[in-house]
Formats: sequence, C-alpha cells, structure tokens
Amino acid sequence: MAVKIRLRRMGQKKAPYYRIVVADSRSPRDGKCIEEIGTYDPNTEPSTFKVNEELAKKWIANGAQPTEVVAKIFKQAGIN
Amino acid sequence: MRCQEKILDTLLYVVYYTQGVAFCVLRIRRENVEKIVVQGRLYDFYGELLTEHQRTVYEDAVYNDMSLSEIAAIQGISRQGVHDLIKRCDKILNDYEAKLHLVEKFDTARRKVEQIQSLTTDHRIKQLTTEILEDF
Repeated sequence: MAVKIRLRRMGQKKAPYYRIVVADSRSPRDGKCIEEIGTYDPNTEPSTFKVNEELAKKWIANGAQPTEVVAKIFKQAGIN
Repeated sequence: MRCQEKILDTLLYVVYYTQGVAFCVLRIRRENVEKIVVQGRLYDFYGELLTEHQRTVYEDAVYNDMSLSEIAAIQGISRQGVHDLIKRCDKILNDYEAKLHLVEKFDTARRKVEQIQSLTTDHRIKQLTTEILEDF
C-alpha cells in the first residue's frame, strides 16, 4: 500500500488554504487521510507554511512519498 | 565631499543590488510552489465553464494534488491523455482570464478592502467590505 504526502485544498472558494496530509494513494478522493502534518497558506504575504517536522520525518522514513509540490515545501522548511 | 558622495553612491547601489537579488530569489521561490495555487484560483473563477470530465480531472490535479498516473488509473485513460487535458484546461482558463480579468479585479478589490479595513475600527464598515469580496 503506497502512502503519499500530498496537499489537500480546503478553505473557501477564492481564498485557498491547503493542508499537508498523509493519505493512501488508492483512496485519494474520499477525503479520508491518515494524518494531517501541516498547513500551507498562500493568502499571506509571503506565504506561510507550518509543518510538523517530527511527523514529516517519521512518515518519510516509513516510506511515504511526498508529491512534487509537497517536496518543495519541505525543502523550504528545511526537511529532507 | 566628493568622496562622501561616492561612498553614498556605492552604498545606494549595494542596497539596490541586494534588493534586486532578494526579489529574484523570492520570485523564483514563489513560482516553484505556487503553480498549483494559481491554477486553483483560475479554476475557482472559471471552472464552471469546463466540461464535466475536464472538471473532474482538473480538480483531482489541482485541488487534491494527485499525480498524472494516479488520475490516469482512476479515469481509465493514458497518462499522456491526462497531461494533454490539463494543459488544455490551463490554456482555456488562462484565455478566459486574459479576456475577463476576474482574478485580477478580485485581487485589486481585496487589496483595497484590506486598506479600508486597516483604516477603520467600525464594525459595520468591516462587515460591508467583507461582503463585497464574498459577492465576487
């Protein structure tokens, strides 16, 4: 079972707000997620990221695959 | 005196240069992550103009951050097909924005509303200006 770390868009229409979630890659559409590990808010200037570093490292060590966008956010947050 | 001017000039140049570099770095960083945000905002405004199938695929890509191959597997089409469809939707949405400028107008309105709200403590004014944005 592949586990992915991806963004999930929340917030109102025209006021985007994203959660960084850990989810099973096979059931990505039903809104279920295993764990929420951070947020990304592009409305502020500059955009704000909040990442729970411990959880992120734990999931990556366990083989969870971040998507391209999430990988970039982690890079900016200094998580590898 | 001359020497002072020269020092000042150099200093100004350094400040200007540093700002330029900082600005570039910031812009590159923003462009990296925010493609998905830009796509999402365009979809917010013009999404209803796409077909049902285009909307499903584009939403998965932009709202749910799914990869091309994941979407391809769900939709039963090829990865290349998904890629082409998203490219086409990007173009359609950008064309609408180029003609209608709804996103641009919304951004301008939002900036002005923020300015108004920072100038007042009146609850009613704050509420009304927030409503202007919600009505967009």
